[in-house]
Amino acid sequence: MAIIVTGRLMTFILMVLTFIVMYYYMAINKEEEYNIRTLPAMTAIPEAVGRAAEMGQPVFWTPGISGSLNDSTQGPQVLAAISLLEYLTEECAKAGVELAAYCPLPDAMPLVEETMRTAYLRQGKPEEFNVEQIVFISGQSAYLSGVLGYFQRAKPASNILVGGFYYEAVVIGEAGNTIGAMQIGGTNNTHQMPFLVATCDYMLLAEELFAAGASISRNRDELGSIKGEDIMKLILAAIIGVGFLLGAAGITIVADALGW
Amino acid sequence: MGFSLANIDRRVFYWILFIALMVPFLNPIGFPIKIAENTRDLYEGITEDSVEPGDVWVINFGYGVSAWPECHPGVTVCAKALLREGAHVILMGPHTDVELTYKHLLDTAKEDFDAATYGEDYVFLGYITGGESAIAQLASNMRSVYPTDHFATQLDDIPMMQDVNTWHDVSGVLSSDTGDWGGYFLTQWQEPYGVPMAQIGIAMLGSTGIPRWLAGNYFGMSVGSRGGAELEMLIGEPGDAIIAMDSISVSHLLIVIAVIVANVGLLLERGRRS
Amino acid sequence: MSQMLKREVVYAITGIVTVIMFLEYFFFPESQAWAEIIRTWSVIIYNISLGLGAVRLTMAHSMNVQRRRENWAFSGVLLAGLAIMLLTGLAGYFMTGQQTNNAIYNWLFNWVYTPLGATLYPITGFYIFSAAYRAFRARNIDAALMLIAGCFVILSNAPVGEALWIGFATVGEWFRFTGQVPGMRTFALVGTLGMIAYGFRALLGKERGFYAGGEE
Repeated sequence: MAIIVTGRLMTFILMVLTFIVMYYYMAINKEEEYNIRTLPAMTAIPEAVGRAAEMGQPVFWTPGISGSLNDSTQGPQVLAAISLLEYLTEECAKAGVELAAYCPLPDAMPLVEETMRTAYLRQGKPEEFNVEQIVFISGQSAYLSGVLGYFQRAKPASNILVGGFYYEAVVIGEAGNTIGAMQIGGTNNTHQMPFLVATCDYMLLAEELFAAGASISRNRDELGSIKGEDIMKLILAAIIGVGFLLGAAGITIVADALGW
Repeated sequence: MGFSLANIDRRVFYWILFIALMVPFLNPIGFPIKIAENTRDLYEGITEDSVEPGDVWVINFGYGVSAWPECHPGVTVCAKALLREGAHVILMGPHTDVELTYKHLLDTAKEDFDAATYGEDYVFLGYITGGESAIAQLASNMRSVYPTDHFATQLDDIPMMQDVNTWHDVSGVLSSDTGDWGGYFLTQWQEPYGVPMAQIGIAMLGSTGIPRWLAGNYFGMSVGSRGGAELEMLIGEPGDAIIAMDSISVSHLLIVIAVIVANVGLLLERGRRS
Repeated sequence: MSQMLKREVVYAITGIVTVIMFLEYFFFPESQAWAEIIRTWSVIIYNISLGLGAVRLTMAHSMNVQRRRENWAFSGVLLAGLAIMLLTGLAGYFMTGQQTNNAIYNWLFNWVYTPLGATLYPITGFYIFSAAYRAFRARNIDAALMLIAGCFVILSNAPVGEALWIGFATVGEWFRFTGQVPGMRTFALVGTLGMIAYGFRALLGKERGFYAGGEE
C-alpha cells in the first residue's frame, strides 16, 4: 500500500526538495553572501514618491480585485502587494506625500490598515496616518468606477498597481496614462501581464512581485529563499531539458516519472 | 504643433469604434468562421460517446451580466448539448447576479429547458462564496457548501441530487470564467481527482487556458465570443455569438488600422526631426 | 508581550493549517473530515470579512455625512442604498424563507445595480483600443517584432483576418498555440515557485507583509 497517494509522489518529492533547498540557503549556509539583481520597478518607487512630492499630488496604490486571501494563486499576490505597500508607505511618510490605498478586498483590509499604521509609526509620524486614506469599495465594477473617479479628481502623480488583477488592469492602467501618472505595475496573472506592460512604466513580472520585498530589505533570509528558488528553477529546467531530449528519442521515462 | 498621426486624441478613436461597431448589426456581413481545434475538442467532450444518459455535469457561471456576450453563447450551447445527451446538469456560480444568468440561460436554451424537468434533469444551486476553499469543499462535500438549492429546497429532496454529494458523483465540469474559477476547479477537482473539465472563458483567458488544454488539464477550451460562435456552428444553431462576429471583425480591423496609423505617424515624426 | 503573542499566534495557526492540508493532500486519497473543518472555517471567515467590509464602509461614510465633508451627499446615498438593500433582502428572506425574494430588492438589483455594473465592462474594449494605439509603436526591433506578431494574432482571432488572407489565420494560430505557450508556461512555473518561496518565508515568519509589519 503506497504511503503517498498515487499520482502525488513526485509532487511531494519536489515540494520537499524545494523546502530543503530553500531552508539550506536561508538558515544553514551562513557563509555565502547573496546578491539579487536590482529590480527597476522597486528602485523606481522612491522616484515615483519624489515625483508626487514635487508635483504636490498623491500616490495611489491598489492590489486589484484579486479574489480573496484564501485563493491559492491570488492570495499570495495580495500579500506581496501589501509587503510592497509597507515600503511605499514608509517612503511616502518620509517625503510627506499623501498615499491613497484603494482596496476592494474585505479580508485584506485589516492587513492594509495595520501595515500602513505600522509604517507611519516606524517613521515616527503616527499622527499623520489617517485611516480614511484606505478606501474600501466592494465589487469589481464599483471599485473600477471609484478608482477612475479618484484619478479624475485627485490626479495622482504616481500609481502603484501591484497584485492580482483582472480586466481592471487595462482600464486603470490606461486611465493612469490619461492623467499622465507614472505607473509601476506587477502581477502574477499571466492574462493581465501584457496589459500592465503596455500601460505601466515599470513592471514586476511573475516572481519579481514576490521577490520585491527582498530586493529592498536585502534581508538575508529572504534573499536565501530566492536563491533556493533559483536553484530549484535550474533543477526543474534540467529535468525538463533531459525529459525533452529523451522524449524526442522516444524514451518517456522522465515524463512517466513526473506523473508518479 | 499641428495635427500628428502619432498623437490623435483617443476620443476620436472611441467615437470611430462606437459607430463602426453598430454598422455590422444593422448590415450583417457574414464572414466565414473556421473552427479551432480547442473548441472542437470541447464540443466532442460533451457530446455523443463522451456523455452517457444520467451523467452529472457541473456548469459554473463564473461570469456576470457584463460578460454575457462573451461567455453566455458558449454556455448555452454546452447546456443544450448536455441536456440532449440525457445528462443531468448542476448550475451554480460565484457572482452575485448568478440568478440573472440562470434565468437568461433558461431563455436562450428555452426549448431544451422546457423539455427538461427541474430537479430531475437540472438543478440550480445558486450563489457560492468563499473562493477556492469553497470549490475545494464542494468536491468533498457538496451539502456543506449548498445545504439547499437556490430556491431553498433541501438537496436530499431533489431527485437528481440524492446520490450526488462529492466529486465521485460528477462526470465533468464546465467552468465559464471572467476570473480564474477554472483554475480553482483545475487545482481542486481536475488535478487531485482527475475530473474531466473544460473552460469557456473570455478572450483574455485564452493565453492562460490554451497551455492548460495543450497539457491535457482541460479536455477543451472555448475562447471568447469567437469560441461561442464556433460552438454555435458545431451544434448547428446560430445565435448571439455568430451575430457578434462581424462586430468583432470590425473592432479587430480598426485596432490594426490604428496601430498602423500610429506607426506611420511615428515614422513621419522621425523623418521630420531628422 | 501582546505584540509577540500576536505574532506567535499567527505563526502557530498558519503552521498547523499548512501541515493539516499537506497531510491530507499527500497521504489521503479522499478528503478527510478534519481537513474539511479547516476549509469550512476558511469559507466562514471569508464571509465574516464581507460583513467587516460593510461595517467599515458604513463607518467611513457616516463620518462623511456627520462632518458634512465634500460630496457628503453621495455618502448619504450610499448609506441609504446599503440600508434599503439590507432591509429588503432580509425581509424577503425572513418572510418567504427564500434568498432575497423581495420585489423592491429584486427590482433594485436587476434594474439598477446590475446594469450599472454591466456598463463598466465594455469600457475595457475602448481602453484596449487606445492602449494598443499608444503602446504598439515600432521604436526598436523588439517592439516591431511584437507589433507584427500582435497584428497577426488580432487578425487571426477575427473572421475578417481569414477573409483578407489565409496567412493571417495560419501565422496567428501558430503564435497562439505554439509561439506564446512556452512563455506562458514559463511564467506559470516561475510564478508558482515565487509563490512557494513567499509561502515558505511566511511559514517561517520571515515575510513581513504577511504579519502586517509585525516584525520589530
